[in-house]
Amino acid sequence: MTEERRIGVYVCHCGGNISDYVDVKEVAETLAGEANVEVASTHLFACSDASQQEMIEQIREKNLDGLVIASCSPKLHMFTFRAMAERAGLNPYEYVHVNLREQCSWVHKGDRPGATAKGVNLVRAGVAKAALTHPLTPLRIETQPRVLVIGAGAAGMRAALALADMGLSVYIIERESEPGGWTAKVGRMGPDNRSGPEVAANLFERIREHQHIALFTDAELTAKSGHIGDFQVTVRLRGEEDLSLNVGAIIVATGFEPYRPRAGEYGFGLPGVVTLQEFRRMLEACEGPLTHNGRPVRDVGFVYCVGSRQEEGEDCPEPNAHCSRFCCMATSFSASLLHEVERKSNQTINQYHLYRDVRTYGRLETVYTQARADGALYLRWDPASPPRVEPRDDRLAVTVKDTLLGDEELEIGADLVVLATGMVPRQNDSLNDILKIPKSKDGFYNEIHIKLRPVETAIDGVCIAGTAQGPKNLAESVASALAAVARTGALLKKGFVNLEPLVAKIDTGRCVWCGECFNACPYGAIEKIHIGEKEVAMAIESSCKGEGGCVPVCPRDAIVIEGYRDDQIMAMIDASLEEAVPA
Amino acid sequence: MSKPDEGRRPLDYDVMVVGAGVAGMETAASMGDMGYRVLLVDKNASVGGRAILLSKVFPTLDCASCIVTPKMASVSHHPNVQLMTYSEVDSIVRNADGSFAVDLHKKASYVDFDACTGCGKCEEICTVSVADEFNYDLVTRRIAHIPFPQAVPKKAVIDRRGEAPCTFTCPANVKASGYVSLVRAGRYEEAFNLHLENAPLVGSLARACYAPCEGDCTRGDKEGTVHIRGIKRFLADRYYAEHSEPEYGPVETQLATRVAIVGSGPAGLSAAFYLAREGHQVTIFEADAEAGGMLRTGIPPYRLPKAVVDRDIKNVTALGVEIRTGQRVASLPDLKAHGFDAVLLATGASDQNGLAVEGRDLDGVVGCMKFLHDVNLGAAPDVRGKTVMVIGGGNSAMDPARAAVRLGAGRVIINYRRGRKEMPAHDWEVEGAVEEGVDLMLMSTPTRFIGENGKLVAVECIRMELGEPDASGRRRPIPVAGSETVVPVDVAVLAIGLLPSTSTFDRSMKSGKGLLVADPHTRQTADPDVFACGDCVTAPTMIINAVAEGRRAAFYMDRRLKGLSLDAPFDGVLPKTDKSIVLEEAKGFVKRSPVVQPALTVEERRQTFACYEKAMSEEEARQEALRCMNCGECSQCMECVSVCAPKCIDFSQKPTPVSLNVGSVVVSTGFKILDPATKALLGYGRYPDVISGPQMDRLLAPTRPFNAVLRPSDGKEPERIAIILCVGSRDQTVCNPLCCRIGCMYAIKQAQLAMGALPMADVTIYTIDIRAFGKGYNEFYEQARSMGVEFIKGKVARIEQLENGNLALHYEDMLGEGGRKVREHDLVVLTVGFLPNTDVFSLYKGGELAADDFGYVREVDPISEPARTNVDGLYVAGTAIGVMDIPDTVLHSGAAATQAAAYLQRIGGGQ
Repeated sequence: MTEERRIGVYVCHCGGNISDYVDVKEVAETLAGEANVEVASTHLFACSDASQQEMIEQIREKNLDGLVIASCSPKLHMFTFRAMAERAGLNPYEYVHVNLREQCSWVHKGDRPGATAKGVNLVRAGVAKAALTHPLTPLRIETQPRVLVIGAGAAGMRAALALADMGLSVYIIERESEPGGWTAKVGRMGPDNRSGPEVAANLFERIREHQHIALFTDAELTAKSGHIGDFQVTVRLRGEEDLSLNVGAIIVATGFEPYRPRAGEYGFGLPGVVTLQEFRRMLEACEGPLTHNGRPVRDVGFVYCVGSRQEEGEDCPEPNAHCSRFCCMATSFSASLLHEVERKSNQTINQYHLYRDVRTYGRLETVYTQARADGALYLRWDPASPPRVEPRDDRLAVTVKDTLLGDEELEIGADLVVLATGMVPRQNDSLNDILKIPKSKDGFYNEIHIKLRPVETAIDGVCIAGTAQGPKNLAESVASALAAVARTGALLKKGFVNLEPLVAKIDTGRCVWCGECFNACPYGAIEKIHIGEKEVAMAIESSCKGEGGCVPVCPRDAIVIEGYRDDQIMAMIDASLEEAVPA
Repeated sequence: MSKPDEGRRPLDYDVMVVGAGVAGMETAASMGDMGYRVLLVDKNASVGGRAILLSKVFPTLDCASCIVTPKMASVSHHPNVQLMTYSEVDSIVRNADGSFAVDLHKKASYVDFDACTGCGKCEEICTVSVADEFNYDLVTRRIAHIPFPQAVPKKAVIDRRGEAPCTFTCPANVKASGYVSLVRAGRYEEAFNLHLENAPLVGSLARACYAPCEGDCTRGDKEGTVHIRGIKRFLADRYYAEHSEPEYGPVETQLATRVAIVGSGPAGLSAAFYLAREGHQVTIFEADAEAGGMLRTGIPPYRLPKAVVDRDIKNVTALGVEIRTGQRVASLPDLKAHGFDAVLLATGASDQNGLAVEGRDLDGVVGCMKFLHDVNLGAAPDVRGKTVMVIGGGNSAMDPARAAVRLGAGRVIINYRRGRKEMPAHDWEVEGAVEEGVDLMLMSTPTRFIGENGKLVAVECIRMELGEPDASGRRRPIPVAGSETVVPVDVAVLAIGLLPSTSTFDRSMKSGKGLLVADPHTRQTADPDVFACGDCVTAPTMIINAVAEGRRAAFYMDRRLKGLSLDAPFDGVLPKTDKSIVLEEAKGFVKRSPVVQPALTVEERRQTFACYEKAMSEEEARQEALRCMNCGECSQCMECVSVCAPKCIDFSQKPTPVSLNVGSVVVSTGFKILDPATKALLGYGRYPDVISGPQMDRLLAPTRPFNAVLRPSDGKEPERIAIILCVGSRDQTVCNPLCCRIGCMYAIKQAQLAMGALPMADVTIYTIDIRAFGKGYNEFYEQARSMGVEFIKGKVARIEQLENGNLALHYEDMLGEGGRKVREHDLVVLTVGFLPNTDVFSLYKGGELAADDFGYVREVDPISEPARTNVDGLYVAGTAIGVMDIPDTVLHSGAAATQAAAYLQRIGGGQ
């Protein structure tokens, strides 16, 4: 053991989240007398400003050289306390975060003595680790003032404009041959009756005029290397030519795909059964009366929640459990558009909207109100007995049990049945392989934290915008795009970024280059170098995430991860077993 | 910093963000991260907005603290973000160069934020409690308070909405609200000491003050005024019973300066007290044989026992003040020659006004002051069985009349030239006199005193009638010719006004009416070292006016003696609190009837000069003190000052105006919550167990009151909880057609949390639709269903309380059989709708900031330009455009930050 450390141990109540199940006072008191611990106390909310201030004063006053805070998940507050350590004049990497909430109190709610004993052991392990820390310096990387935006839909284009308005250079790439995405195809949109093509065209026009934006259509990302602040990307144009770009950050705005119903799902495949997107195109194209099969349309049925809010079943093994958010509004808005056709062409059209819950949230409620005023009839069905769509004569028959009429079964004759198809994640495996952005349960790209860091991803320097993250309407999509720009701007305007020094270190004396680590690294952070005659592995600090996959596969034990060194881990294990296995 | 372009004003900040809720904090941190210098303003004492008050957040069930405190900490530590809390924006105007001129002010918190450590001691000792808005009024908090445990910055503030009417009205600004709240808290010594700060003669005032405070008491507009003087009587008696001598001696720092005070009445004594506390050497010269002036000789002992006056005077002499009795000061130069650096004249007004009536000089015709003086010194004329007529209708007529009763007079008559309602005496004085058997001879005035052998035997009076109003607004009495009558009278007491006792002073010092001339503000006379105060300057008033005079003169004399400018404000008295606000607030308060102060019976009173009132018991006094409505919020009991270690409480603090130039503005002023009582049939406000959604969130929060989920009426754990959605949302009857957008989700969250906290409880959600539309929301809804939360599609029409205290919900079940149904619950949560915070529109003074159809800030192009308003360079972030959940707010705030950054780039400002 090296010389005695002066470690401060702070145990958080988390306002009861921890202290209701763990005797935090006992944890602190137990630790107070142990080796290397200079002071141990508790805080109601360690993350609160006042508590931080107190800890800072104590760090300074008692000249602490290590810090252990036992609180919530490090995902929430590790950075908070690192920053605090830094303000107190302590190297942030001499701080150790112990998760006493997710890993202790929340999982041992019925056993206070047991949870407390475990808490003591966890904190002890943290102290053991902290005793073996040494100051580390983050890696400073110069950032490139250029951004790659993937996807030239409304979100991507608006993001590009905003980035360029900030003085950054932007490359925007679009897989399709035309920019505009779904916005350009949707026609008029609720709630403000704006024309999607016009909005898209306007954005495109502004992009063309902006000298700091280069737009590539028929373009796909084929390779990405480098790291936050300094990425090398390869873009394949028209399937042939490769373009190499050097950018500081990437915004992914690849959008959604409309749900494609299975054959037979609510009659899909029958003549007259159309998706919402198809129906909107019919309305856009319609001059004069709305006709189908050469006959004026008299009755239209709308089935909501197609492809959304699904439950697992034989015909639906992988249900989309999510709500697609935009479709209630879009379908109700379609009611008003249909009513407009009806009125203009002096036609009588009956509308039947078969819904589960009408989710026209916030001010979108006005769209629902208007739809009802425009003659839309709403019938509520339950997933236990969903509507059936069948051919009947040369029309369609929609059978529905209306739960608001005492589950009375109604049969509605219809010329058209519109399936309000929701949003599903884009299938884009090649892009996913390159970007490696984690996905959430619903299959959309996952943000780091929906409320704390909603546009950032686990891949530093890569933000997500628009419906790539989850269903949204256009205004929400654009807002999220601009939020992604705010994060990207914050990253690149500063000119540099500090990277975590918790990375792999390879003992070149031991290494004999077997290539195992190279194969194990998902970040491409290992490269082969020559030291004299010898081939050895080296970790590229700026690419390494400290993920540690390389450590166990090394047959020569030549690799350590800073912050998770073997001696630290062993000390933690020893410390946490101290009482369980008496010496 | 901007380039020094032609005509461009330098920017104090690149952007000002107004409102530090989630949206404001997010926008500020985003812009700070981009390198812009940000000013983040909030009217509250802490940043955090409404989100920090939540329990947990959907759909992840993270603690609200976990989500919001990192944002709070990040703005408070951000090198580019300057926080300005407890501050309000007064005006925003756009300059020609695209920047904005903003005026704001930092509100007076009465706490020096730089020095405050957030220790909370002031909060612990504060004697006034009010509904705690941070717990949505479920519990109370103190007036000196730190908003909530996680507040940033963690500083105390003290609420003062004005001066309490009692304190404001008191001529000496004695902190009536303060000592009343101290008595309520059982801190009697502190109450006494607080009184000394404004008036040292506590005992005398407790008995003989005419208590203008009570006349202006807000409770007087309800069940009857708080008997403030009765409370003072209790605390003074208690203190004097326990402390026969003051607990203090002369102050430590004694100065060489010597002050002479002429007159030992309430003005002179008070001045002496405050001057001696400053360390000056004070000598009082009193012509009479005993000190006290009018307190000693002018007020009959049944109102003011002389032992009390003695004890009050000890408060003054304990400080080292010397009182030389029997010494009439003849010459001011003499005093100066004796080494006095300054002189205060406080000789009062006890000279008798004459009556130009025949027989004025007969034996048996006396002035009221002479009569009372003799009564007080035990030298009263023997009036037993005789008839005494007191002439006059003021308070000074009541004293001799009622004294005469106690002396055993056969008949006592008060003769007054106007009618009963014109009598200037206090009603209760007149009533007391009549009760004790005094006859009122109204509309009558003496025309002749008739004597025999030089001794009065009768008074000839004439009947009067009232003519036109005179200068005082009262109708002028006119004698009715030929209506003379003769009344047999043995002693006639003239109580028709007093003159200033200034006969010994040089005419040059006096006005025409014989009053001494002194500066109305400082009480300095033409001779800068001579001051004058009290009745000899103001003409006769009340004791409390004289005390106020003495303290004022002492304040400026002290400055004069220390060589400081007299151009200094005397007392930091706030404007009087608007009573209507207090009364409005008190609408739901329980009725509190006045405590009746114990008193002697009429028969007892007639027999004795003993004090006619008795002191309240401790219990009675505290009961009465409980009736105080804390009109000014802070009662100024000063307890916080006494415990504050860093000495950061400063009641003289004033709002501080600030004018700045900023490049861009982002308003993130949030929303308001609909008053659930608006939906009257749902019983909020009538049934304690009908609570609002925000209140339920407080009950479920880690920092919740009582640390348990309890129903408010009886503290029982609820077993059948109902949550009603869309209360005042999607509802034309309250003119709020919008969906509240977050109600479904926060109700589902509450249902899950309630089931966690109360495993035995059933939770039912009454709903129209369930709008679980965000990422992970529908899954969260399904999770609630699988946990057993019951969802009923149906609107609740009304709620009634049952005999067992539970609540019957009458609703229409829209599914199954349907129809009208009734269900019993023991806690009902109303998921209330939201309203726009329209305060935002008054901030922009450079034209009109456009609102949408529902009163929220209008986004001119929400589809491609989110956060942009009709004012170029002024953006909006978060729920100011309409309520939304935290994830949407965070995204929208990022958009606002991006927009403002682009604007700064465009106008060439920033960084």
